[in-house]
Amino acid sequence: MSRPAARKRSSFSRSVFVGTIVFLSLPLLVLVLYSFNESKSGAWTGFSVKWYVKLFTDSPQLWRAFGNSAVVALASAFVATVIGTLGAVAVNWYRFRLRKYLRTLTFMPMILPEIIIGVSLLVFFSGIGLRLSLFTVFVAHVSFNLPFVFLLVLARLEEFDFSIIEAARDLGASDGQTLLRVILPISAPGIISGFLTAVTLSLEDFVITFFVTGPGATTLPLYVYSAIRFGVSPVINALSVVMILGTVLLTWSTRNFLKYIAAK
Amino acid sequence: MMKRLMIAAFAATIGLVASACGGSSEKLYLFNWIYYIPEDVIEDFSKETGIQVIVDSYASNEEMYNKIVGGGDGYDIVVPSGDYVSIMIAEGLLEPIDTSRLANYGNLDPAAVARIGFDPGNRYSVPFMMAAAGVSVNRTKVSGYEHSWSVFDRSDLGGRMTMLDDMREVLGAALKSLGYSVNDPDPAHIEEARRVVERWKPNLVKFDAESFAKSFASGEFWVVQGYAENVFIEYPEARRAEVDFFFPKEGMPMYMDSFCVLRGAKNVERAYAFIDYMLRPDVAARVADYLMLPSPNVPARALMKVEPNYDFDDLARGEFKEDLGREALKLYNDAWRRIRVGN
Repeated sequence: MSRPAARKRSSFSRSVFVGTIVFLSLPLLVLVLYSFNESKSGAWTGFSVKWYVKLFTDSPQLWRAFGNSAVVALASAFVATVIGTLGAVAVNWYRFRLRKYLRTLTFMPMILPEIIIGVSLLVFFSGIGLRLSLFTVFVAHVSFNLPFVFLLVLARLEEFDFSIIEAARDLGASDGQTLLRVILPISAPGIISGFLTAVTLSLEDFVITFFVTGPGATTLPLYVYSAIRFGVSPVINALSVVMILGTVLLTWSTRNFLKYIAAK
Repeated sequence: MMKRLMIAAFAATIGLVASACGGSSEKLYLFNWIYYIPEDVIEDFSKETGIQVIVDSYASNEEMYNKIVGGGDGYDIVVPSGDYVSIMIAEGLLEPIDTSRLANYGNLDPAAVARIGFDPGNRYSVPFMMAAAGVSVNRTKVSGYEHSWSVFDRSDLGGRMTMLDDMREVLGAALKSLGYSVNDPDPAHIEEARRVVERWKPNLVKFDAESFAKSFASGEFWVVQGYAENVFIEYPEARRAEVDFFFPKEGMPMYMDSFCVLRGAKNVERAYAFIDYMLRPDVAARVADYLMLPSPNVPARALMKVEPNYDFDDLARGEFKEDLGREALKLYNDAWRRIRVGN
């Protein structure tokens, strides 16, 4: 069987792609490797899991930061998902004044540089006399998570046939019934991916959090940032490996979950 | 099924938020340099007193100061360096401290306390640790040098040396090499110091305060200006003898970090209890061991188990960095900018 020219081109682009992926993964590999290094310094002196032991048994401040991150991520993602979903439904189905502008305005936090959002939130919070705390971090995270949820749910809503809704109304469903029984189940994949995107964004946010964090509200990225200013501690390497594993596991289970939902 | 999932998620969220905000035990909010006090020292304080210490960390004075000014009140104790102590006193950000209420205050080395210019008489600050950046030389690569700033004049070591990316440290070194104070406000002296740094600059690889120690440990750089703890944490323990860490004979800039109570702090009593605990010889010794630094706490020195990176007496040549004041600061900034940007 002769190989067409197209086949060769694709093998070139594939090798470029594979090369890029390998290049991007190499730093992660180095990180994994060094988390098992016995010595604190850059030189490899021997295999050891002592940094993992230290991570899990002797790093209360790190875990408190992790706890803060988890609380803020779940809470802000949940609230953003509820508001974002309702907003998407409203913008997609109802006609009201300034609808177009509202839609554009929602994208603002997505487009604006994070540093501007951070500064403006800080100015706003101190303007209204709200003390910086975990609560202000939560509010900030809801505000930047919102557009992502909104967009993902909206995309899902725009995809499907409006006549389904009309059919539901035809058959006597009320507004609320339509929302709960028809719209939400249909847009579930959008809502779930919106929620998970929000969790991810919230977990990794540094810039905005840096501005609005207060006493006792250090999140994991902030902790890691101040930690690496004095040289990367192997405990941070160990933590990164744990987080890489966690993320992979989460993505994998989400994919299966979405497949399961889609199959239903 | 969806509904139940939502309810479960909601309940979990509420539970998490509640658990994060809850806990009505006595609290103390500490804003401190990262990796400055070992976590078990703070845990032991909680065990002894029942006071829960909430710690947040920063990596520079500027970061701490901006947070406090920008609405991050709610902390009880901060740990600024000397120049920032006087800035924060001037701006009314600090609560006066009555040192007579600290039973262990007398443990501090009177000679060190007497040299403090940023808060004479320690009315707002209680000294915690003092140290200085010095010069580390790789003995296996370099020989025939003096313990002097003049080592940076050696063009044969060009491309093998770094200095800190820190205005006060580099200009301070140059000022000391000329015999001036590290806080000299005289424009002519600052200009002279700038020329000295410009003379050193061609021999330097870069100004770097973050990753120089890794390259020094790997043998790429041979002479680096920096803090001993940064260098030794990277250097393989078995080969420590190869490193010659010294403070130049002309003297060097030095810092003192102090405990300060913020104005409007809610837990002043607990703050006193914590500061007094940190001044206890056994506790001060544990901190000094952890940092491998000499302690300004006199009785703690006898209790230390680890050999510090240098002796306390070596710091005698040092001079505390003080707040320069607006005008002198501008001159320093200009000189530093010209050095860094090169015009």
